[in-house]
Amino acid sequence: MKIVFRIVLLAALAAMGVWLWTFLFPSPEKVIRRRLTELARSVSSSANESDLTRLAAARSVAGFFATTVELNVDLPELGQRNSMDREEITQAALMARSRAGGMHVKFPDINITVAPDKQSAVADLTVEANISGEHDSVVREMKFNLRKTDGQWLITRIETVRTLTWSAELRFGKIRGESLVRADSEIGVPPF
Amino acid sequence: MLARNQAEQSNVRPRQSWLPRWLQIVLIGRNPKVTLVRAAVLIVTCFVVFRFILLPARIEGISMLPTYKDRSVNFVNRLAYRWHEPQRGDVVGIRLAGPHVMYMKRIIGLPGETVAFVEGRVLINGEVLDEPYEKTPCDWNCPPVRLGPDEYFVVGDNRTMPSDNHVFGKAGRDRIVGKAIL
Repeated sequence: MKIVFRIVLLAALAAMGVWLWTFLFPSPEKVIRRRLTELARSVSSSANESDLTRLAAARSVAGFFATTVELNVDLPELGQRNSMDREEITQAALMARSRAGGMHVKFPDINITVAPDKQSAVADLTVEANISGEHDSVVREMKFNLRKTDGQWLITRIETVRTLTWSAELRFGKIRGESLVRADSEIGVPPF
Repeated sequence: MLARNQAEQSNVRPRQSWLPRWLQIVLIGRNPKVTLVRAAVLIVTCFVVFRFILLPARIEGISMLPTYKDRSVNFVNRLAYRWHEPQRGDVVGIRLAGPHVMYMKRIIGLPGETVAFVEGRVLINGEVLDEPYEKTPCDWNCPPVRLGPDEYFVVGDNRTMPSDNHVFGKAGRDRIVGKAIL
């Protein structure tokens, strides 16, 4: 009985040790996941925010990004932009918060691949946004490239992933009046 | 002697429960240990089934009307395509970055086929596809697209909406999570 008790105690101690180790020295995946969850929380907004809260939240959103972020997204609000700096991100976040009556953003699925040098990573994630007053939620699959800068994981590139191709090609072709067969370029997924 | 009898009596007296006996039987059974084991088995079974085999899904949106109504509940069977490949007409869940949010669409084109829409009719390799599930006429026109060896063409059943507002197209085999069972 004594031996069993000792084994159980030892196992519990080992489990606690492992937990403590991962708590004190989390893996890059864990850090990135936590950071992306924080980003989703920062992007979310409530209906009656004060101007000061809105500005502070918009600035905190910009803090998740590198000084210049490369873009390849199909959001009409961003037009045909290829990059944005932090000030522009703050302005965009501010505009989104002031326009929406309230928005809840979450990333229900996050897949992270860290490069062997552990200095860069790619996060493939689903963005789900519930905008108050709208019946359906907006869903997109996106890819974020991250780089470790001064100990912090910052987003350097955002790209919309084509979950279902062809309809997007068709839409894009129609909008641009170009040929419908587009195989090489990255085009975003149309809304739900 | 008297003192000993009193002690014995107090020992054999059944412990009083704060619940009436019948309620105790209803709530935790005649044998609490067996009930506990049963509850544990049930919890583990539910966890395994609904996490890894039958994914519960709430349908949002109108793209699968009239087959599936907005806000209806369904299950996606992840084992459906373990022993055979998806078939034409199957309603499948298509993952985005993961299985928590999926598109629910019907397979109309199989790998290697050419799919087109002409005046609302689906053409597979140039021949009109019979679609008994399609109740409302539509006027979609889309040029032919050839599917790769691992690609399926999926579309919703509600084609009364403009094609621009409808998400449809080619989906890789790896994106198909499973088959809707209801």
